[in-house]
Amino acid sequence: MKKIMKNILALLPSNRAKTSAVPFPVLFGKFQDILTINNSVLETIATVNDKLGGNYIFDRHYIETTCQTITDQVLKLINDLDTIAPNKYLALHDSFRRISAEIEKDLAGRPYCHFGPFTLAYKAISHHAAEEVGGKNASLAEIANFLDLTIPDGFAVTGAAFHALLAKNDLRQKIDRIVASWKRGKVSVEDAAQKIQQLILDSKLPGKLEKDLSRSLAQLNDNKTNKPLLLAIRSSAWGEDGERSFAGQYESFLNVPAAELAKAYRQVVASAYSETALMYRQKIGFPEEEVTMAVACQVMIDAVASGVLYTLDPQHGHGGSMLLSATWGLGAPVVSGRASGDRFTVARSKPYAVKEMQLVRKKTALTSIAGGGTALQPLPTDRQTQASLGNEQIKQIAATGMLIEKYFKKPQDIEFAIDRQGKLIVLQARPLNIDQTDAPKAPELAKLLSQYPVLFRDQGDIAQAGVATGKVYMFSDDSRLRDVPAGAILVARFASPLLAKVMAKVSAILTDIGSPTGHLATIAREFRVPCIVNTGNATELLQPEQEITVDAEANIVYQGLVNELCLYELTEDAIEESTEYKLLRRVLKNIAPLNLLDPAEKSFTPAACSTLHDITRFVHEKAVEELIDRNYYNHHDPKTSSGKLRLNIPIDLVLIDIDGGLRKGSRKGEVLPDAILSVPMLAFLEGLTHPQAWDNEPMSVDMGSFMSSLTRTFSTELASPKYVGQNLAVISKEYTNISLRLGYHFTMIDSYVTDNINDNYAYFRFFGGVTDETRRSRRAEFIGEVLARHDFRVEVHGDLVVARIKKMDKEGMLQRLQVLGWLVGFTRQLDVKMLSDQHIHHYIDKFNQLMEANI
Amino acid sequence: MSDQHKTSILILDDEPIVSKRLKPSLEKQGYEVETFTVSSEALKRTKERSFDIVITDLKMEGLNGMDFFTEVKATSPRTEVIVITGFATMETAKESFQKGVFDFLAKPFKISEITAVINKAELKIKQS
Repeated sequence: MKKIMKNILALLPSNRAKTSAVPFPVLFGKFQDILTINNSVLETIATVNDKLGGNYIFDRHYIETTCQTITDQVLKLINDLDTIAPNKYLALHDSFRRISAEIEKDLAGRPYCHFGPFTLAYKAISHHAAEEVGGKNASLAEIANFLDLTIPDGFAVTGAAFHALLAKNDLRQKIDRIVASWKRGKVSVEDAAQKIQQLILDSKLPGKLEKDLSRSLAQLNDNKTNKPLLLAIRSSAWGEDGERSFAGQYESFLNVPAAELAKAYRQVVASAYSETALMYRQKIGFPEEEVTMAVACQVMIDAVASGVLYTLDPQHGHGGSMLLSATWGLGAPVVSGRASGDRFTVARSKPYAVKEMQLVRKKTALTSIAGGGTALQPLPTDRQTQASLGNEQIKQIAATGMLIEKYFKKPQDIEFAIDRQGKLIVLQARPLNIDQTDAPKAPELAKLLSQYPVLFRDQGDIAQAGVATGKVYMFSDDSRLRDVPAGAILVARFASPLLAKVMAKVSAILTDIGSPTGHLATIAREFRVPCIVNTGNATELLQPEQEITVDAEANIVYQGLVNELCLYELTEDAIEESTEYKLLRRVLKNIAPLNLLDPAEKSFTPAACSTLHDITRFVHEKAVEELIDRNYYNHHDPKTSSGKLRLNIPIDLVLIDIDGGLRKGSRKGEVLPDAILSVPMLAFLEGLTHPQAWDNEPMSVDMGSFMSSLTRTFSTELASPKYVGQNLAVISKEYTNISLRLGYHFTMIDSYVTDNINDNYAYFRFFGGVTDETRRSRRAEFIGEVLARHDFRVEVHGDLVVARIKKMDKEGMLQRLQVLGWLVGFTRQLDVKMLSDQHIHHYIDKFNQLMEANI
Repeated sequence: MSDQHKTSILILDDEPIVSKRLKPSLEKQGYEVETFTVSSEALKRTKERSFDIVITDLKMEGLNGMDFFTEVKATSPRTEVIVITGFATMETAKESFQKGVFDFLAKPFKISEITAVINKAELKIKQS
């Protein structure tokens, strides 16, 4: 690479006068820098993502250095683009400053919840949203959105709303002063709590919050009949249901008329500063400035019976049973412990037999009153001694509880109600604190585990660590996703991204073939589902319906249900709950997602960049565009020649020659293939233009995806290249750098081929596509396999493929470049055809046959 | 596996997450594990009893990892040392090996990677 730069610099006349235009060698040098950094950023992002699988041990130092590396690189990208296109994309600096400031704030440990919308409907709450909407809202929304369980209709009033309320009324400083004087012993905790609560109760809601509340209420009303809307208003504080339990310290209000929402909201917020809450925070050292009270606003359920389920009996934590308490009417008396309800001890596995039943006399039931509020109503004598739950209801509640526990990977404390229609509604789910003294200890486990038969070990790669027990569900081509039973261990031939659709339901996933950096692995990590891919023959070693235990920590599969291991996992602190893991996931939100895809969209602007990946993508696209714009459409530098290559295949490729890559006398405009002297370019074209590389069997695709993956980068009538994708090759005698945008996927090839074996290299990168992620990843897998067969060192992360080869003799290098040419032609629409995982292997075979016949 | 034959491991890293992750995983595999985040305390412990294997970070407040394991090796030459560090350079690796460490792992690493190294160290201990 250095040598090329030298050649290019030699092109520069030493006495060249300074002009406003950047000389081409400088331009191209920066362009190459951009490509190199661009690749490095993408690879770093991919490897950081892999760290979230629970398989790696990483520390804070790693997170800090990685963030530093990526931000430094992205800043360099922006500066390089500035050199290429001076003052043209200055807004990128603003986006960069904004994003890196967010990352810094995350690293400094700020609470995440100061920004964003003030209200969020449960349906709109995404995964991992606890920091925005509080633990209670977040888990309830996940239960509804990913497990299809019924929860009350409702919305969250977010942490951002809380902070806006404080800001609007200048409460932050006032509260700080009161807390400080309490901590100095100047006022009692009663006085401090009373003063702060009064300030909140007297506060004025920000105008936007008022509007958002009434809009959200109107949306709730839309779903209902004309009946007056009655609500349950509950606390959903940040950290409330997490590592530390603030359970029961805050206020909840039941059966609140919609008109009184604002008042109830303030009351719940004020309860964040009750005496007990203040003292508890002091005791555990929870910083006052991090207090954030989000609120849950739910349609009131008119309950016939209600109760609480502990999915693991806290007193007898040997793992066999769950504990269920219930009563007639609303559950508050049982939840708060003010009254005892019926108690059932239920087995933790199907068919959820009731082991023990303790019925009490229930003289009253807490009931909703028509106009709002609740009251204890006397019950008729026959109901008093009748069990508040029937056998079928108990089974349904137990099954629901296990589903939720499996999903959150922790024993759960679940509040539920049975409504007038007999429907089970989950009101709340939070992790249950259990006494760990009864749980097995790691050293004892070693002994215990040695008694279980091992079906196989150390086969395959761990995509997500964890432990699960369950029955094998063998997924074949004929299987339908909706038939996969909840809690099953899914065993499949391929790590097909399709399986992601049942991720929330299954206990674990094992596959014969697949990569720990593939799409399925990413989703397994998202949902923390234990997942081992690439086992080779799990589908042969296991039987349908077989009961097994998957230890995706130690990479062992045991025969039978090793409940001790599961219980151990349930009581251990999950890695995902560690500060470091949460921090990494949080900083990645500002780094990894790619939102800018289509340069033809109006939104493809510097200001729209919301992650470092977006900036990287933007800079890359614009760099290619500038190079073509400046040297093809506006020919500046007399030392370079350029033109559009005339080919017999539909691909518009602009060539820019920097040193002996084109025959002398080539004119600006069109280049004929025989004018090309660039050694690597010729080899690439030989593969690319081979008729068979373009002559795949006819395909049946819908017109939409066909049109969008057309390879021609549009006619010259669309004069400005700004509106279309760019195909560009910068060449010299021994060097070629090709940027292709075919359809919506991006291919980059960079290669240098000489007689000196040590200088030779080729780099290939492939990213994106027009179809869904499933098919894109299949194509990525195809490309990866083919290139690995031709001696490339290959890394596949989702639909990003990076392949490298170096230090190979000239003949070998040229052969590999031909393969790359073939591959680009062959794969241009392959994602459209990748209808099933079998296709991957079909096309690998087909490609290999072509290679054997032609190269 | 009786306690007498358990391989004993000391882990020293100033970031608690490292021990928190490693300890249960190694105990589950039947190792006896003690963990420390402060090097002087770890050193004190190694004076009280010897360990088969010591896993240590390099860059730490107070006594650094290099000095720590040098002292450990001086008092208990049979102890095998595995270095884990987030500041892996050729120089530190070279220096560590010169001072007799068994292996050198750059953080972050996979649990299976460190387990493999521990297994190799165990084998060496058994052979000697």
